[in-house]
Amino acid sequence: MAVLVNRDTNVLVLGITGRSGRLQTKVMLDYGTKVVAGVTPGRGGQVAEGVPVYDFVAEALKEHRIDAAISFVPARSAKDSSFEAIDSGIKFLVLTMEEIPDHDVLEILSYAKAKGTTVLGPGAAGIISPGKCKLGAHPPRMFTEGNVGVVSKSGALSYEVGKTLTEAGIGQSTVIALGGGPLWGLTQRDAVRLFQEDPETKVILLLGEIGGTTEEEAAEFIAQNVTKPVVALIVGRAAPEGKSLGHAGAIIQGNRGTAQSKIAALSRAGAKIATTPKEAAQIIKEIRGE
Amino acid sequence: MKLYEFQGKELFREAGIPVPHGRLITKEEELRLVEFPAVLKAQVLVGGRGKAGGIKICKTPEEGREAFKSLLGASIKGEKICALLAEETADIKREFYLSITIPSGSKSFLLMGSATGGVEIEQVAQSAPEALFSLLIDPIVGVMDYQVRYVAKRFACEVEEARKVLTGLYRALREYDATLVEINPLAETPKGLLALDAKVVLDDKARWRRSELFERLAEQQAAIGGQAVNISTDTITYVPLDGTVGLISDGAGTGMLTLDLISDAGAKAACFCEMGGLTSPEVMYSALERTLNNKNVKAIIVVLIGGFNRMDEMAEGIVRYQKEKGLPVPIVVRMCGTMEEEGKRIMREANLKTYDDLYEAVREVVALTGRNS
Repeated sequence: MAVLVNRDTNVLVLGITGRSGRLQTKVMLDYGTKVVAGVTPGRGGQVAEGVPVYDFVAEALKEHRIDAAISFVPARSAKDSSFEAIDSGIKFLVLTMEEIPDHDVLEILSYAKAKGTTVLGPGAAGIISPGKCKLGAHPPRMFTEGNVGVVSKSGALSYEVGKTLTEAGIGQSTVIALGGGPLWGLTQRDAVRLFQEDPETKVILLLGEIGGTTEEEAAEFIAQNVTKPVVALIVGRAAPEGKSLGHAGAIIQGNRGTAQSKIAALSRAGAKIATTPKEAAQIIKEIRGE
Repeated sequence: MKLYEFQGKELFREAGIPVPHGRLITKEEELRLVEFPAVLKAQVLVGGRGKAGGIKICKTPEEGREAFKSLLGASIKGEKICALLAEETADIKREFYLSITIPSGSKSFLLMGSATGGVEIEQVAQSAPEALFSLLIDPIVGVMDYQVRYVAKRFACEVEEARKVLTGLYRALREYDATLVEINPLAETPKGLLALDAKVVLDDKARWRRSELFERLAEQQAAIGGQAVNISTDTITYVPLDGTVGLISDGAGTGMLTLDLISDAGAKAACFCEMGGLTSPEVMYSALERTLNNKNVKAIIVVLIGGFNRMDEMAEGIVRYQKEKGLPVPIVVRMCGTMEEEGKRIMREANLKTYDDLYEAVREVVALTGRNS
């Protein structure tokens, strides 16, 4: 089994007829993901990439069993579309879009929590369980089946590290990209917990970056609850103070949010620290006795 | 969008929070319309204004003119004072602190209060942490009655007074799409609670549904000649640095990783230019333009690993720039991910080399610029 998604996950695509939604649906289908339906208001009855399109989530649910949804709708429609999915009983929702107003993000996260829906994102590249299911934008060739569980804020960094691991012959059980923040549904701490509980995951690789305190919170959880080996890579060691580096949350304020403080916290929690993806691959090989 | 105090107070007044009567002053003759005694307050966006001497209590019109002359045109922490807010003085019994924010990683609004206001909240956290309290406000539920009663108890004030301010503050937060609303100090006066200061930050991501408000506020800011409001039209983050390697990436995480790798290789980046993970040939084009405007750049590394982003489109942007403007410095492009075959073909046809390995690309660009540069 894998974390959150598996071979049998039936997927609904929200915003399936948009340019990005359509392309990503095609790549997911090519990968073998079971995309069974799509929703775009006003486009019910159409077919996109061979997938039937509905006006409403509830209409799609009448015709299909759906386990998870991934959303490509514009930021302006994110709240309405997410509430519809949550109301319809979708239990796992991936929000790929950025630039959603903060108030809308909070409302989505609060409502999802109350209704028992897990939200990955917003601004998330998604989740891939190599060889089983790809619910996101991950370029397929960067990933291969295996037993390292990877969690990253940045999508691009998760691809980069996936590529390095794959080239080094190290496969992944599941790779989760959470989004650049500063607001998140699923957190690093949640992902680490899922990997600890997943029998298929043997090593946990945590990819963090400067800013905020979520790496420190994950470190606290690791120290108390995680028995599996953890490797951590924090990027932004050479980052300047006081500047957001591409992610709104990636900012060093005074001496808060530095790579050094996160590395120290994770190191104290027993994680092995890598400074580059290649070093992470090397450490994982050593842990596995290769 | 960060607001001046006078703008924040205007919004607070609209939301039902009591604020002192005041008038914005930009010319000396406008002082005639001010009743003394009055408080003259420099309108700047930086914090720590009181300590820097930006607030003056004036008993007479003469004192008012003196304060006006010393403040207007002067600077606080490098920010020029372009306007003053003249307000009636208040009979202050006690001072509190009250704010609502959206902390990083939070899933609710955070209300913070302190029975000792008037000083920076970080200081209170150090010196009198027992005076601080916080409550989570669920964005769907809003402010509950027990939360009003709790604030009243902590402030030792009338419940109805606390309700007026707390519901007003929450209304301001919600109706203006604010990410911060702060009153420091919130004064207890014989007439009730009064917001003596206002700090408000609006969410730029909500500009599309508050366009009238944002325009009105931007016009006010432009009218007093204060800091120009930057409205970014693309998804590019451009941070100038002090090295010679121009760094462009299509992801924040890989951008930061490359920054580290450049530094590990003994060189320094001239800039951090991140395009966003779902971008277009036009954005690739303008990322090159911005990076090449930086005259310290001796060579460029473009780090592309497309997920949402399409490599054919990135290649198009690079090739178009090369054709139209030329590339005055060497460019090292690492390209892989979505539509990479097509992207590499476009690059090949333009005689531009691409790399697959990030480390090799970093080695190449550092060889071009030299170490310790």
